[in-house]
Amino acid sequence: MFLILLKKELFIEFRSREVVLSMLIFGLSIILAFAFTSNVSKVIVSNYAPGMFWIMILFVSVLGVHRTFSYEKNFDAFSMLISAPIDRGIIYLSKWISGTIFLTLMQLVIIVPFFKFLLLDLPSNFILFISTMILVNLAIMSVAILVSGIVMRANLSEVLVPILFFPLVSPVIIAATKISSGVLAETAYQLWQFWLLIIISIIVIFALAGYTLFDFITEE
Amino acid sequence: MVTFFKNKNNMFFLIFVGILLLFNIYNISFNTPMVPDQHWAQKIFYVHVPSAWVGFLSYFVVMIAGLMFFVKRNDYWDNVGLAAAEIGTIFISLVLITGPIWATPIWGKPWIWEPRLTTTLILFLIYIGYFMVRSFGGHIERVKRYAASIGIIAFLDVPIIFLSVQFWAPEIQSHPQVEMAKQPAGILIPFLISLCIFTLVYILMLRYRIYVIQIKDKLIKNV
Repeated sequence: MFLILLKKELFIEFRSREVVLSMLIFGLSIILAFAFTSNVSKVIVSNYAPGMFWIMILFVSVLGVHRTFSYEKNFDAFSMLISAPIDRGIIYLSKWISGTIFLTLMQLVIIVPFFKFLLLDLPSNFILFISTMILVNLAIMSVAILVSGIVMRANLSEVLVPILFFPLVSPVIIAATKISSGVLAETAYQLWQFWLLIIISIIVIFALAGYTLFDFITEE
Repeated sequence: MVTFFKNKNNMFFLIFVGILLLFNIYNISFNTPMVPDQHWAQKIFYVHVPSAWVGFLSYFVVMIAGLMFFVKRNDYWDNVGLAAAEIGTIFISLVLITGPIWATPIWGKPWIWEPRLTTTLILFLIYIGYFMVRSFGGHIERVKRYAASIGIIAFLDVPIIFLSVQFWAPEIQSHPQVEMAKQPAGILIPFLISLCIFTLVYILMLRYRIYVIQIKDKLIKNV
């Protein structure tokens, strides 16, 4: 059932390309803003690049998550989805994994413009950068999808999502910046392995909480 | 419905807690030693730490109430959750006010990203979101479920927030940590007394607030 739901999410996105495309354009606009506000000064940008990258991803993921739930919201398809005889936790899992896939796809496209527009060198250990990035994406999305699922049907959900999401995700942002700084500076793994543990704990805690709570949250 | 304080036990509890609070102020002001380099500023810790304890205890109650609400499906637990969230936020605000008041003369700056205060600030922001969901969430029955879930995930997030903030910027957090448990008896005993009195105040406030919210709920249902 999980695979069917995941396929549905991917199929909708494949047809409309709405989520990835809107995240991408928004991400590019944020890079422009960073470039203008930092005067593309090598000193500022190289020190702050991991932070800039994850701030961009944070904003972009809010937009993406909002789009992910809006299909169901617009046509009230969500009521039909939850009336299906399935474990509702699986809806959370499928949204979480699909959200992570969309965010990763968007990052894979934006990573080159990000480094090139800000006059930085691409990460020398690209594979490591991407694999840690995917792990962080899983953590960001585990929180984002849960928060979005909670307030999706509330009034002012577009305001409530970032207000709840940003403070909840703060440990992920700290850890993500530390990990990316470590990978970009090519420091020893031991220096940032603690932050990987933080990311993994967030993934485990929020995935379990999301899987369990989604059953209650989505009740009519 | 009988007013809360018309009940003899509640009235007695109120008077008892009131006397204890007055005693606490006296005890902190006159029966505790002056710490040489901190002078009167140190006294704020007898209020600051118990407030933090009550605030976090209250948010723990919100989480338990959230779990119980999902298990029992009883509005009583939603009322407990709301009451605990409100009181917890009052005490957490007190922590965020008294912390910088103490830090200004001692560390020279009101805010230096001390891990415990930073965790408290993040939790405070999450609870502002909690109250926004409560106020603007829309459908009353759904909002109860949203609030219970937020209460649960907020508390689950606390240890990770604390850990990550603690190791985030050690270079700007290189100030000495104050640990109440390692203080001499002259400071520790009045502190523990204050802690107990604050907990009693919390119990009274929680019971009273639950009572008020229940009346409000009844009124809404009767309209």
